[in-house]
Amino acid sequence: MGTALLHTDQTIISYTIAAVALPLAASIINFCLPVKSKAAGWISTLAILVGCVLSAIVFARVWNQQPLHTQKLWFTIGNTKVFAGILLNNLSALLLLLVSLIALPVHIYSTAYMKHDDRYSRYFTYLSFFCFSMLALVVADSMVLFYAFWELVGFSSYLLIGFWFTKDKAVQANKKAFIMNRIGDIGLLSAIIIIFAQFHTFDIDALFGQHGLVKFMGPDNGQWAFAPDRMPSNYGSVWTRGAMTTLPAIWQYIACAGIFLAVAAKSAQFPLHTWLPDAMEGPTSVSALIHAATMVAAGVFLLGRVYPLFTDTELTVLAVIGCFTAFMAATIALTQNDLKRVLAYSTISQLGYMILAMGVGAYGSSLFHLATHAFFKCLLFLVAGVVIHEMQHIKEENNLDIDPQNIQYMGGLRKKLPLTFIVAIVGSLALIGIPLTSGYLSKDGILIQAFEWSEGRSAWLKLIPAGALFTSWLTAFYVSRLIVKIFFGEFRLLKHHPDIKLHISDGGWQYRVPLILLAVCSLFPLFSLNPFFYEKAWLFESLKPAEFMARENIYHTIIPIGVNILSVFVMYAAYAIYVKRNTFSFPQTGFFYRLSYNQWYLDKIYKKVIVKPILGLGKTCFWFDRNIINGLIHSIERLSRAVADLTAWCDKYIVDGFLHSMAALVQSIGNFARKFQNGKVQYYLYSMLLIVLVLFILKILI
Amino acid sequence: MITLTDFLLVGALLFCTGMYMIVSKRNSIQVLIGIELMLNAAILNLVAFGKYDKLNNGGQVFALFAIVLAAATTAVALAIVLNVYRRYKTIDPDEIKNLRD
Repeated sequence: MGTALLHTDQTIISYTIAAVALPLAASIINFCLPVKSKAAGWISTLAILVGCVLSAIVFARVWNQQPLHTQKLWFTIGNTKVFAGILLNNLSALLLLLVSLIALPVHIYSTAYMKHDDRYSRYFTYLSFFCFSMLALVVADSMVLFYAFWELVGFSSYLLIGFWFTKDKAVQANKKAFIMNRIGDIGLLSAIIIIFAQFHTFDIDALFGQHGLVKFMGPDNGQWAFAPDRMPSNYGSVWTRGAMTTLPAIWQYIACAGIFLAVAAKSAQFPLHTWLPDAMEGPTSVSALIHAATMVAAGVFLLGRVYPLFTDTELTVLAVIGCFTAFMAATIALTQNDLKRVLAYSTISQLGYMILAMGVGAYGSSLFHLATHAFFKCLLFLVAGVVIHEMQHIKEENNLDIDPQNIQYMGGLRKKLPLTFIVAIVGSLALIGIPLTSGYLSKDGILIQAFEWSEGRSAWLKLIPAGALFTSWLTAFYVSRLIVKIFFGEFRLLKHHPDIKLHISDGGWQYRVPLILLAVCSLFPLFSLNPFFYEKAWLFESLKPAEFMARENIYHTIIPIGVNILSVFVMYAAYAIYVKRNTFSFPQTGFFYRLSYNQWYLDKIYKKVIVKPILGLGKTCFWFDRNIINGLIHSIERLSRAVADLTAWCDKYIVDGFLHSMAALVQSIGNFARKFQNGKVQYYLYSMLLIVLVLFILKILI
Repeated sequence: MITLTDFLLVGALLFCTGMYMIVSKRNSIQVLIGIELMLNAAILNLVAFGKYDKLNNGGQVFALFAIVLAAATTAVALAIVLNVYRRYKTIDPDEIKNLRD
């Protein structure tokens, strides 16, 4: 591959590498700076700015061109060569540009938002590290490399959620996010291993590319084999049946389930979505970049990469899960009072749309929605950041005991924060999908294609587009509720504390520029010159499947009109309910209200069904360890100590006693003999005389 | 008639006297005298046994020789006693214990 590269291609590759490596360099530099250094923010911003420009150049060269692929030998295990390299096609080029484009305003915003933080440079270290991981993730060409960056993305998200690690909630949240993501990582890892066992390569291009292996294989007669219906005739001679050993078909299902688990964990799909609302404990700018726009899109990106792996049935399962997630998250968002939590559930809901779109074969629309959603959700989070920042300001100035994220205390802020209000309206309209915004283009695309897909399928599957449609009205309602509660009506805090001072404003240019930039990107001209027909969007046209149906059926007209008229009506209803409270108010005791307010009790169910038993198991193991294993060890210890004591006693009194008594005997004999050696000459003579006498006597007697 | 036994009895008496003096006296000179007594007892025996000599007067001559030797040893011993006195300021053999281990 490498030899065939043209000169221009090589330039593009080096630009890509630079765009990926710059945030890493910034991260390393910031890591070496003192923790309060204000230079950190500008180093990271500069890195991402240059990276952004480079990504734009790369994007311009790669978009709608032949995919670029270069790789080098990384390492060899046995006969298996593992390559590492860069794969640039439409998908990765789009994500490369998108991530750096979103990261840029967030970086600028963060320089102001985190200004008073004690660990300012650490924040930018982590943020740059995240950007590096995410950018590397989108351009990696090997499953192994992909997995490595997938992990790094999760890890930097963990660091940033727990950035304020002195708050207990933040620690719990980052732990939860990490554990949930680990579950997904297990799925991805097993899928990679299974795919390798089947195809003997980690190369994404060789597996899932235009002439990829995966395309031609499917479950067939209980074997994961070359599916005759998938195989083009001219490939028959090259890839013969005997060339590879194939695995049983069950492995294909397990691999798909693994991939789905990974997608569900990263992109917060049911049943692994509960970490995302908790992840809002991190700084709001982080939520905007990671937990709204980029990292959570990694799951959808992964689906896009491995799309050919999925069979029709598996795609249907995806669609069902996506639809259910979208609906569930939207219903939860209806009643939440925490500003960021509403946005988090709306993110889950929108991600559900993307998965749904993948499931119904609307590959292009899914990625299109990913791109548009990234802009307007990032914008909404940054707006939330401004609002929370100002509420925090009021709280600190007046020494109030309020939660600055609770929308119950807000209201009427449109007069105080005019710019924020305007961009928030733009973001919300895009989220609802009102014409002239980018969200309209992408969301209606998904809805229309979902309806087209359900045509000719069973009645149950017709529920999917219907659910998506219903969810879009729910979206309209909760977004309107949020906006109305924050920006319209009276400032409710004044009711309880009439004498507080309000010194709040939109903030400096670091706040204004990113907001304006993202608001402009949330409007239609960036994506399509025609604000009403999503098929005309350049992004969609390049990603759409070949057999895409043209504007020929009734859905293309009826759905946008129906959705939007009802949405506008729903928005007005929300306005009427929440501004003019007296007309109508929801009972807050019903079953549905409690179900929604408690987030479908999923957290509680998980706690009861999974966390409690696991903790119980842990406690049992601990008890077992403490009492049985330790008891056993302690009794062995006591036994051996008793044996040792016995041995010591024997040693001391028997062995040593014998030796000591011998020594004492010899000593006493010596002392006895010494008495004769007293130096007196006459005494010696006595002794001699005595001995001679004794000898004589003995001689005589014997 | 004075028999050999009488000589031997006198000799034994002399020897025992000398022996007693050697072990009991507190004065080195007296100890020396004891030694001389014992020597003389031996010489007396030599002279007494001289009666049975095959060679004439062999015992007498040997006795004379022994007397001379005794005189010589006495001289040496007295010199030693003198030196001991100079050094220890006493001639009590009990006081001089440098032979001890």
